[in-house]
Amino acid sequence: MKLSNSSQLVRFTLVIWAVFCVSACFDATEQNSPVKGVIYCSEGNPISFNPQLDTSSTTSDASSHQIYDRLLDFDPETGKIVPALASSWLISQDGLTYTFQLRRSVKFHTTGYFSPSRSFNADDVIFSIDRWRVASHPYHHVSGGHYPYFTSIGLNDLISDVKRINGYRIEITLTRPNSSFLANLATDFAVILSAEYAQVLAQREQKEFIDIYPIGTGPFQFKEYKKDHYIRYSKNDDYWEHQLAPEMLIFDITPSSSLRLAKLMTGECDAIAFPSHSELDTIRDRVDLTLDGRPGLNVGFWAFNTSKYPFDNPKVRRALAMAIDKNTLLEAVYYGSAVRAKSLLPESSWAYQADISETNYNPVMARKLLRESGIEDGFTMTIWAMPVERAYNPNARKMAELMQNYLSQVGVQVNIVSYEWTTFRERLKKGLHDSVLIGWSADNGDPDNFYRPLLNCSAIESGTNRAMWCNPEYDALINQALQYSENEQRIKYYRLANQILAEQVPLVPLAHAYRYRAHRSDLSGLVINPFGAVRFGDVKKL
Amino acid sequence: MPKFNIYQEEIHPSPLMHTWWEFRKSHIAVLGLWIFAFFVFLVIFGPLIAPFDPLLQNPNAFLVKPSWDVSGSIRHLFGTDSIGRDLLSRLIYGCRLTLGISLLLVVLAMLVGVALGAVAGLTQGVRSSVLNHLLDSILAIPTLLIAIVIVGILGVGLVNSMWAISLALIPQFVHNTREVVRTEMAKEYVLAAKLDGAKNTHLFFYSILPNMYEMLVVQGTMALSIAILDISALGFLGLGAQAPAPELGTMLSEGLRVAYKSPWSIALPGSAIFLMVLSVNVVGDGLRSALRNRLQR
Amino acid sequence: MMLTQIIRKFNLLILTLFVLSILSFLLVYLFPGDPLVNLTGLENLSPEAHQKLAEIHGFDHSYFYQYWLYLTNLLEGEWGFSFSSGNPLWREIMQTLPASMELSAYALLFSLLIGVPFGFIAGFQHYKLSDYSLLTASVVGYSIPVFWLSLILILVFSLQLGWFPLSGRLSLLYDIPHQTGFIFIDIFLSDVEFKNDAAKSAVQHLILPTLSLTIVTASIIFRLTRRSVIDVMSSQYIQTAYTRGLSGLQVVMRHGVRNALLPIIPLFGMQFAVLLTNAMIVEVIFSWPGIGNWLIQAIFQRDYPAIRAGMLAVSTLVIILTVCTDLLANLINPALSGDRRAQI
Repeated sequence: MKLSNSSQLVRFTLVIWAVFCVSACFDATEQNSPVKGVIYCSEGNPISFNPQLDTSSTTSDASSHQIYDRLLDFDPETGKIVPALASSWLISQDGLTYTFQLRRSVKFHTTGYFSPSRSFNADDVIFSIDRWRVASHPYHHVSGGHYPYFTSIGLNDLISDVKRINGYRIEITLTRPNSSFLANLATDFAVILSAEYAQVLAQREQKEFIDIYPIGTGPFQFKEYKKDHYIRYSKNDDYWEHQLAPEMLIFDITPSSSLRLAKLMTGECDAIAFPSHSELDTIRDRVDLTLDGRPGLNVGFWAFNTSKYPFDNPKVRRALAMAIDKNTLLEAVYYGSAVRAKSLLPESSWAYQADISETNYNPVMARKLLRESGIEDGFTMTIWAMPVERAYNPNARKMAELMQNYLSQVGVQVNIVSYEWTTFRERLKKGLHDSVLIGWSADNGDPDNFYRPLLNCSAIESGTNRAMWCNPEYDALINQALQYSENEQRIKYYRLANQILAEQVPLVPLAHAYRYRAHRSDLSGLVINPFGAVRFGDVKKL
Repeated sequence: MPKFNIYQEEIHPSPLMHTWWEFRKSHIAVLGLWIFAFFVFLVIFGPLIAPFDPLLQNPNAFLVKPSWDVSGSIRHLFGTDSIGRDLLSRLIYGCRLTLGISLLLVVLAMLVGVALGAVAGLTQGVRSSVLNHLLDSILAIPTLLIAIVIVGILGVGLVNSMWAISLALIPQFVHNTREVVRTEMAKEYVLAAKLDGAKNTHLFFYSILPNMYEMLVVQGTMALSIAILDISALGFLGLGAQAPAPELGTMLSEGLRVAYKSPWSIALPGSAIFLMVLSVNVVGDGLRSALRNRLQR
Repeated sequence: MMLTQIIRKFNLLILTLFVLSILSFLLVYLFPGDPLVNLTGLENLSPEAHQKLAEIHGFDHSYFYQYWLYLTNLLEGEWGFSFSSGNPLWREIMQTLPASMELSAYALLFSLLIGVPFGFIAGFQHYKLSDYSLLTASVVGYSIPVFWLSLILILVFSLQLGWFPLSGRLSLLYDIPHQTGFIFIDIFLSDVEFKNDAAKSAVQHLILPTLSLTIVTASIIFRLTRRSVIDVMSSQYIQTAYTRGLSGLQVVMRHGVRNALLPIIPLFGMQFAVLLTNAMIVEVIFSWPGIGNWLIQAIFQRDYPAIRAGMLAVSTLVIILTVCTDLLANLINPALSGDRRAQI
C-alpha cells in the first residue's frame, strides 16, 4: 500500500469518527431514542418461562404478570382478591366446591411459533391445573415434573377434582375446607397456559417448548431470550384488559446491583430490581430517580440442616442462634431498611404475635450450651450464602462474613459456600448444606403461606423447607388452623406453632425487610406488588 | 564515588557498579526505587505496621469515612469498609499479598525458566528447533490469557491463579535465557574454556550465568509488573483470590458494591496497584536505559 | 526465498494449531465429570442415548481414533453444546468473537493513530523536554490496571457527565438481527427503521471501552515507535544521508519513517494479542457481549465444553494473527528475520 493511500484512508476514517463523536457527545445518551420501549434491569436468568415450575421470583418476574394471567389477582393496593380470567366465583356452603365463571373472548398470543384458533376457555384452566395436579397428565413430567409451590403447600392433594361445566364455567372440588385456597389461585404460580398450544406441541413432539417458548394471555408476548443478556417482549395487541402496555418490554439481565444502579443513572434502564440497600440514599437524592419502598411480606432467615449432626440437636441450634447479634446484621446488611424478625410473620400480618419470645445475643450462654452438647472448640460448619439479592436478604455473602466473625467467638469456624443461583438451589434441595442464609417472600397475604412451605414435612421434598425439619405436631397445628375461616380461631393454632418453633429453633428469623424498586422519574404506573412478581402491563413512559 | 583518594590509582568499577551509577543519574528512577522499596518494606513488615487485623470486623464502625473527611475518625486512617474492616490494614495486607505473591511467582518462574532455557540453549538439533518454535508461538499469547486458560482448567482460587501466572511467566525467561546462552556460546572466551575441557554445566554456571544477571533483573521487573497486574486482574474478575482475602483486585471488586457511598473503597486499592506497577516499571525503565548508556560508552 | 518463508511460517502455524487441538482434546479428559458429557455438552442423557453418543464419538476405540473424530468434528464446526445455555458452541463463538475483534480492532487503530505520531515526535526530539514528558505519560499509561481505568472512565464520563452509556454494544431498544457479528455491518444490512440512530447508539457504546484499551496500548506503541526511531536516527546510513546534504525533513521522509516503522510492525501484531486479553477484562466491566465476557462466565459456571471451545477459539485467533503479521513483516522486508522481542 502506498503511503498516500493509507493516509487518505486514515483521514477518511478520522472524519467519519469525528462526525459521529460530535453528534453523539452532544446528545444525552439514551433518552432521545426514537424507539419506544421500557427496559427493566433484572437480577438474573429465569429458569424457564413457566412460574409453575419454580418458586424463585426471578422466574415469576420474567413470566407471571408479563406473559400470563391467573384466574384471580391481588389488588396491589389493598391486597384483596379481585377477578382476572375468572370474572366471578361461587363457594358452596360446606366450603368444598368452588365454581368459577370465566371471561369470554380472551385471546392467546399470536407469535412466530404459534397462532391460536380459538380464544381462552375452560379447557385451558383444566389443562393448567391438571398439569401440576395429576401425576399421570401427559404434560406433568415435561421440564422435570416438579411444581415446588403447589407441592410445598399440598395443593395437589387438596384438590380432588377439576370439572368442566360448560365452555366458560368450571368447578373445583376440594378434599377439605381450606381458607387460603382462593389466595393460592391468585399467586404468581397459578398461571393459565394454553391447552391448544400444548396439543400442537405434542403433535410436533416438542412438548418441552411449552415452558421455553411460552404462550399466554398476558399484556406482553414473548419474543426472544438470550441467557445472561436479555429477554425481549412485545406488546400483546389483543390484550383483554387494556391497551396501556408499552410497545416493547426488555429485561436487561444484570446480576451486579451496583451496575444496575449505574445503568439506571445513565438511563440505560428505566427501572431496576433490588437496588442495593447501601445506595438507597443515592437514589433518594436524585431528582431524575424515584425510589418506591413498601414493607414487604417477607422474612430473611438462617436455617439449619436439621437432618445433619449436630444440627439435629435443638440445643446446638439454640446456641448458634444466640451467638449472633441480629441488630448488627440488620444495620450492616439492610442499612436500617428492615425490622428485626422475631418469628416467621412480619408485623403487617394479621396473625402476628407481639409477645413472642425469641433468642437474644448471648455468646456466653451460647458457649455454655455448645459445651453441654459436646461441641468442642474449633468445630467447623458451612454457611451457604445465596448468590443473588433479595428484599429479605440484599447481601447474604456479607451477612455470612459477619456471622463468621460472631461464630468464631464461640469457637465455631465457618466456611462460606456459594454457587451460581440455579446450582445453589439444586444442591440445597439435596441437603448438602449445614446451614443456609435465605428467606421467603409471601405469595399471598395468608399466614399459612409462611408456616407451610417453609417448615412442613412435605416441603422437604419439594425443596422449600431449607431446614429439612419435620415435626408432626407442628404439621397437625397448621393443618387445623386451615379448617377455620375466622382469623381469631386460626391465630390460636399459630400461637401454638410459634411456641414449637421457639423451642426447636429449626431456623433463626433475622429480618422483615422493605421491598424497594427504583425507576426513572419519567416512568409511571410501576406499582410494587406486595405479593410477588413485578408487573409492567400498566407502565407508561413519558 | 569516594571523594578523597590518597593513591592516584584508577578505579575499575565492576559492570554492575557502572550500571548503578548510570541508574542513579535519573531522579525519576531513583524515586521509583524508593517507592518500590517502600512496598517491599510493607511486604516484610506489614503485620507490624497494620493497626488492625485485615479480617477483623468492627460492628460499631461500618463505612467510616477516611480521617480527612469531616465525619472521619483518626482511629481508622483510611476509614472502614461495609462490614467494619479497617481499610488501611486491609490495604497494607493487600499490598503484602499482591506484591509478595508476585515476587514469589517471578522468582519461581525465573528459576524454572532459566533452567529450561539453559537446556534449550545448550542442546541442538531437530528436537530443540521444534521446541523453540513452539515456545515462540506460546510467547505470542499474552500471559493473562494463558493464566485465564489455566484457571479455567484448574478452577478459580488464589492458589490456582498463582500456578497459572507462574506457568504463564516461564516462557519469556526460557526464551531470553536461550538467546543469551546461544550468543555467549558463540563467543571466543567460551570456546577457550571449552578447549580447556569445561563441561556444559561448568560453562553455564561460570561463564554464561554471570553475563545474564542484568538481563534477568530487567526481565524480572517486566515479569513483576505483569504478575502484579495479572494477579489483581484475576482477583478483580473473581477468578483469583476470593473474598474476604485482602487481595487488592478482590478488594476493588468488593468495593464496587458501595461505590457511591464510599468511593475511596475503589480509589484506594486501585491506586495502590497503580503505584506498585508504576514504581516497578519506572525502575525497569531506569535499569534498561542505564544498561544502554553503559554499553554505549 | 519468499516461498520458503511462507511455507515455513505455514508449517509452524499448522504445527501450533495441531498442538492446540490436542491440548483441547486432552481437556475433555482433564475436566471433572464424564468425558463424553464434557465433549458433547449434552447432560442428563438416558443410558441408550449415552451409548449411542459414545459410539458416534468413538469412545469404544483408541484415543487416537477419538482424537481423529474430534478433529474432523472441529473442522466441520461441530464443537458441541454449552452446559449453561444449551446452544451450539460454534454458533455462540461466532456471535461473541466478532464483538471482541471489533472492539480490539478499533482500539488498535486508535492506538496506532496516537502512538505512532507521538513516537516519532519523541524519537526526533530525543532527550528533550517534550520527549521526557511524553515518556512519563506513557509509563503512567501502561502502568494503569485496565480494569481500574475503565471504572474511572465510567465514573467520569457515564455517571458524572452522562455522556456515554456504560454497558453493551447497542441500546437494547434496537433489535438488530445477528448476521456478521460486526455491529455496523449488521446495522447496515438490517431493515430496521432507525438505522442512523442505531449506528449512533453503537458509536456511543463503543467509545468508553475503546478509550480504556487505547490508553494502555497507545502507550506501548508509542514506546516501541520511539525506541525504533531513536535507533534508526542514530544509525550510520542516516548520518550518511545528512552528510550528503539532505535536509532534516528529507532524511526523515526518505529513510527515517520507513526504516523505523518496518521492524516494529510485527510487534504491533503482537499488541493485538495483548489487546484482545485486555479486551476480555474490559468486556466484563462494560458488559460487552464478546468472547472474553462469555469465557469468564463459562469459567464461573464450570461450563466445561464452553471453556474448552472458548480457549481453543481465542488461542487459535491469536496464533493466526501473530503468524500472519510476522509473515507480512517478512514479506515487506525480508532482511529482517529472527529475534524481534518487544523492547519498550
